[in-house]
Amino acid sequence: MLKSKTKGAIVASAILIGLGGLHPAVAAEKILKIGAPLPLTGPLAPDGARLKSGYDLWAETQNAAGGIKAGPDTYKVEIVYTDYQSNTPRAVQSAERMISEDKVDAIFAPFGSGATKAVSAITEKYGVPMIASNAASVQVFDQGFKYLFGMYTPNSTVTQPLVDLVMKTNPSVKRVAVLARNDLFPLAIAEELTNYAKSKGLEIVSDQKFPIGSVDFSSALTQIRAANPDWIYATGYTNDMIMIRKQMQEQGVKTQLITMLIGPTTPEFIEGTGKLAENVVTSSWWDVATKFKGEDVFGSAENFDRLYRKRNNNGYPDYSVASAAACGAVLQLAITKAGTVEKSKVRDQLAAMDTDTFFGHIKFGPTGQISSLKPPVMQIQNGTPAVVYPPEIKQSELRFDPK
Amino acid sequence: MTRLQLSLVLVATAILLAMPLVGGNYVLRLATIMLMYATLAMAWNFIGGFAGYPSFGLAAFFGLGAYAGGVVQSTGVSIALAWLAAVAVGTLFALVLGFILLRLRGSAFAIATLVVTEVLREVTNGWTGLTGGGMGLNLPFFGWSPSALSAFFFYAMLALTAVTFVTTFIVAHNRLGFGLTCIRQNEDAANIVGIDTTRYKIYAFTLSGGFAAATGGIYASWIGYIEPGDVYDVLFSIKPIVMVLLGGMGTVFGPIFGAVAFLVLDEVVWRSFLELNTGILGLLIVILILFLPAGLASFDVRSLWRRAVTP
Amino acid sequence: MILFQYLSNGLILGGLYACIAAGFSLVWGVLSIINLLHGSFIVLGAYIAFFSYTVLGIHPFVSVITSGIVLGALGYVVQLGLINRVVAQSVLVTLILTFGLELIMNNAMLVAFSANYRKVILEHSLGVVEIGNIFIPLDRAASTLIAFLLILALWLCLRLTSIGRAIVAVRFDREAALLMGIDVKRTYAITFALGGAMAGAAGSLLSVSFPISPLSGPLFLSKAFVICILGGVGSVPGAALGGLIFGMLESFGAIFFGSEYALTLSFVVLILLLLVRPHGLLGVKGF
Repeated sequence: MLKSKTKGAIVASAILIGLGGLHPAVAAEKILKIGAPLPLTGPLAPDGARLKSGYDLWAETQNAAGGIKAGPDTYKVEIVYTDYQSNTPRAVQSAERMISEDKVDAIFAPFGSGATKAVSAITEKYGVPMIASNAASVQVFDQGFKYLFGMYTPNSTVTQPLVDLVMKTNPSVKRVAVLARNDLFPLAIAEELTNYAKSKGLEIVSDQKFPIGSVDFSSALTQIRAANPDWIYATGYTNDMIMIRKQMQEQGVKTQLITMLIGPTTPEFIEGTGKLAENVVTSSWWDVATKFKGEDVFGSAENFDRLYRKRNNNGYPDYSVASAAACGAVLQLAITKAGTVEKSKVRDQLAAMDTDTFFGHIKFGPTGQISSLKPPVMQIQNGTPAVVYPPEIKQSELRFDPK
Repeated sequence: MTRLQLSLVLVATAILLAMPLVGGNYVLRLATIMLMYATLAMAWNFIGGFAGYPSFGLAAFFGLGAYAGGVVQSTGVSIALAWLAAVAVGTLFALVLGFILLRLRGSAFAIATLVVTEVLREVTNGWTGLTGGGMGLNLPFFGWSPSALSAFFFYAMLALTAVTFVTTFIVAHNRLGFGLTCIRQNEDAANIVGIDTTRYKIYAFTLSGGFAAATGGIYASWIGYIEPGDVYDVLFSIKPIVMVLLGGMGTVFGPIFGAVAFLVLDEVVWRSFLELNTGILGLLIVILILFLPAGLASFDVRSLWRRAVTP
Repeated sequence: MILFQYLSNGLILGGLYACIAAGFSLVWGVLSIINLLHGSFIVLGAYIAFFSYTVLGIHPFVSVITSGIVLGALGYVVQLGLINRVVAQSVLVTLILTFGLELIMNNAMLVAFSANYRKVILEHSLGVVEIGNIFIPLDRAASTLIAFLLILALWLCLRLTSIGRAIVAVRFDREAALLMGIDVKRTYAITFALGGAMAGAAGSLLSVSFPISPLSGPLFLSKAFVICILGGVGSVPGAALGGLIFGMLESFGAIFFGSEYALTLSFVVLILLLLVRPHGLLGVKGF
């Protein structure tokens, strides 16, 4: 038995070393390869699918428009995907594989702040530009990396304007209850909000966390009910929000304003909660209502919306999808401006960018995180999301429920 | 050790030592992963293979080592000290947990160890001040080149694997190994003939926990960012078991061969199937379990008898 | 007064949890198999209810029957075809086998249904009733009631039908049952089928109140674990009692430890129970 096992091990090692040495055949036309590790299985699967739809839409649209022009050459876009199974170390492994074996020219970051931060260590080491569609926490960008760019503004741009708006519009709102999912991004937002609200004189009457994967919130909501808040701020992901909103009604929780991050603008939420969605407020990094216009391949928010719906069975493009596609759009602008696909030059053009796109005006701050966007605040009014902030693009006024 | 085995070990060692010089970074990464799992498999082998106690808690020690090492490293201390801390914490916890849990047998022991992982994960998640909780723990990045870093961690893992291997060899050929094998075959009889089963079991469990924790410590430094869900992952408990079952329970070389064979399959499946890789891995595990080599059959008879005798 | 709200919440949850655990406990007690597929069976039952409602307009409570049948059949086939080969082997082997099967089933559902959470939105919801200061969601209360009825039915089946008594006999002493002429293999298959059926039914009941996704499986499984140990492995009344206690633990535990520790708390209780009273509250005698 030992001998056959030995042979097996030797053969296995040989295969592995062989696989390691394989290089894809060089194609005749020029191809721009972008690596995109995605969580296609595991708890983050829904988000992975959304990101993929955004990336695919961009690649298709860009190629249909003739590819990416870089100096005298034109490149066809090819995205290399792997499934990192919602597991950060796999994401890191994927990135390294894409860089050393597939020889990608750029990387689209994995989903979420944690995985993005882990992978950024790799891309920085190798000097490969990485654009993150879905990382907002400032902690992701605090390592002084030069090759990392993020499409979301920091969490404070999401929480602070809303607090100011609420306090201005309805001074009777004083008591705030916070309910956060025990997960990186929702916790970060909740912490931001709590600190800012306190600094502005609001009282945090309840501050709770719920474990990832919870489906029952009756205990937490009973506590909230006992605390009698004017404003309930819940953070988590769409399915958490649907459950919380429904169970709020089941538990008799009443309040003047409900804010939920993220989820209320998705069709799942609106269908899932029906009438209960009315007046729920959320912040979003983009919505078709913003009506942005730009120099990218999509040209305008409305065109992006139209193309997405056409390709995805009239599905709704929420901001995470738009952000994903925007990564591609921004990359193309940088490459064309640089006149080459050489990584360091593309990186420089990304750092210098100051352009309008369908996603908004793009300018990256010194840490690589975008600094030029103002996340709109949206409220579900009459069953559809309406923009209530910032004043430049608002469609409606913020509404409150009676005390 | 037979001459064949010795020459194999020497050849393998030579290949491994030379790898950073010939392999690219990605191959080195794969090799490091392989060494890591080989170590985990050998760690499990002490309690599961030799002693026959079905521990499903390897991930608990792995995660504990990762966090202990990680937390210490983020205070700025040298990486070697961080790893020492990982081993210390893991060994201590194994000692204490062993005292408590090793009085259970069979299913009860399996469940308890499985659950310990979950508890540790939630505690780590909640202890935000120390561990960063759900926001994860970032480990400082000491600006070496990618190649240098790959080589460094490869050699670190190789060293650990070597130490674990030597320990396994020593245990297999001395009283402890013999005692553990007796416990596996029939614990009550072992007690009667005068083997201090409690002490031996605790030794095995502690060895298992300590090596798993060491692996976790190196792993955390290597990846640079850990989250409770990543390291307290039940797959770190299950995969090593499958590897040891594949390679041969309670043997010296078994875990290593099992690890290599399983990981090659795992990597090939992962590369080849985008959306189905988890399912196909499951299929592989099912096939392996149903059609395992003859090594498993003899284990069965004994375990059947043990189950019949145990209340 | 607010304590009564927690009590009500705990009771309602408890019934649903008991239903989740009953089938799992039976399979564990009789076959000595820890069926890690149980969580996915529940999810599949929930999907059946979801699609029956959205496509055919059949109320999830009615789907309890259809999903029970489908999952029962699936359980029977899986047991006869796969689990039967390892049913006599160590917990190591059986646990890993069901683990592998669970990976397959989970991935299959992910590909078939996608990971997005689905929600059954009842057109004619029973609404919420307020008694004193206690809010009781009626849909959930109805689900709990049906859950208890199902458990009662299962228990009666075990006591009164010949198949039921065969199952109990095998649970207590496999060798003796064999000697008495009981077809152990068939009994195993039927037990596993019953376990599957209960899981499917539980899934349909859960679909009324909770969102469904392949990702929810492991959570239900974890709870089933603790409830089984609480109530005594293999005991159906034990599962009912364990479910209620577990529901209470979760509800009240949140007050003292915070909701985020609910699961941790239950796991600590689990370990303590394993050490102190491994046969659960109703012991080996309860069936």
